[in-house]
Amino acid sequence: MTQRQIISEFVIEPGTGKAIELLQGQILRVEQIEGGQCADFNCFNLHDYKEFMHCGRTRTVHGFHPTKGSFMWSAPPRERAMLYILEDTVGRNDVLFPRCSAYVYEASYGFAVHTNCHDIQAEAQREYCLTPDDVHDSFNLFMCTGVDADGHAFMTRQTTRPGDHVDLLALMDVLAIPNVCGADVMKTSNFALKPLKLRVFAATEADLAEVPKVPKLASQRTPRDFRNPAIKSDRPLRRDPDYKADFPNTPIVVTELPVPLSPDELAMFNAVKRTDIYGDDDAAALRDLLFSWWEERFLLAHAGAPAIESQ
Amino acid sequence: MTDTVVKLRLNQQQLELMDRTIAQGVAPDRVSLVRLALREYAAARKAEISTKVPQ
Repeated sequence: MTQRQIISEFVIEPGTGKAIELLQGQILRVEQIEGGQCADFNCFNLHDYKEFMHCGRTRTVHGFHPTKGSFMWSAPPRERAMLYILEDTVGRNDVLFPRCSAYVYEASYGFAVHTNCHDIQAEAQREYCLTPDDVHDSFNLFMCTGVDADGHAFMTRQTTRPGDHVDLLALMDVLAIPNVCGADVMKTSNFALKPLKLRVFAATEADLAEVPKVPKLASQRTPRDFRNPAIKSDRPLRRDPDYKADFPNTPIVVTELPVPLSPDELAMFNAVKRTDIYGDDDAAALRDLLFSWWEERFLLAHAGAPAIESQ
Repeated sequence: MTDTVVKLRLNQQQLELMDRTIAQGVAPDRVSLVRLALREYAAARKAEISTKVPQ
């Protein structure tokens, strides 16, 4: 297929959202009609709603403003690429802020009822029998945010225009739920609520060829790997009397490795060791040096983030 | 002059990472790997200092 075929089209009005079954190889376009509108976005594995898009994992891999060329990842222990951002005509999205909620508008603005992304998501997800507790942190499309000097996230106005869009390519069958952000008394959508256009396409061969390969690892676990694969069906938490702890790689056992350092090596070490952190504990300082060196030489990703390059 | 012995305290996961690195041919053994890390880490810091523009 060389031309994208339109499968369906929707307009989501202010205060609403829409759950869409987006199958592997299909593209969801979220498009500005008037411009200046933020869209919150949730996403679940269509065949197992316990696998859902995780903003924390996504921002660890791609930073605070994922754009074209980024993936949306599911939460550990699944950690699979669910969607690929194939196109983004603006390049300003947010994974810092959670969805706005009724509490925000009541606590800060005094509203008894106000359009808010949590409740809009919950209502859209109800079509698939999900509950308000299933709404997860949203990937905020077109939302212009940053972090100020004292470490607080802030939001500001956006500069999107009619026709600006983000194309999300499904890498697995998902339930994709975009909604018109309910914030009209914040800068998020320039103090007005506007409709958004949604379009689902079948991806072309060229679209599919744009997706970088990502690793498939044993650590990307599914319920088949879980010690307890059953979804809990009631609300109270009660201790399992048969539970026996079985944490991986325990007990942690520390052994000593004597490392003789020549006078030259000792001088080198003394010049670079982190006495500001370890004081006179040379063993701890040398261990820090060893693994800091390892990170610099061998790590393919930011420290603490998973590498996504296929080996 | 005699060598100074620093007794590294490492757990089994840290040793595993070292051993996998050694298996790639980076160094012949654990002690050599630590010494290599020290030389390369110190050289990188020296290079950083020498490229800094004086204030």
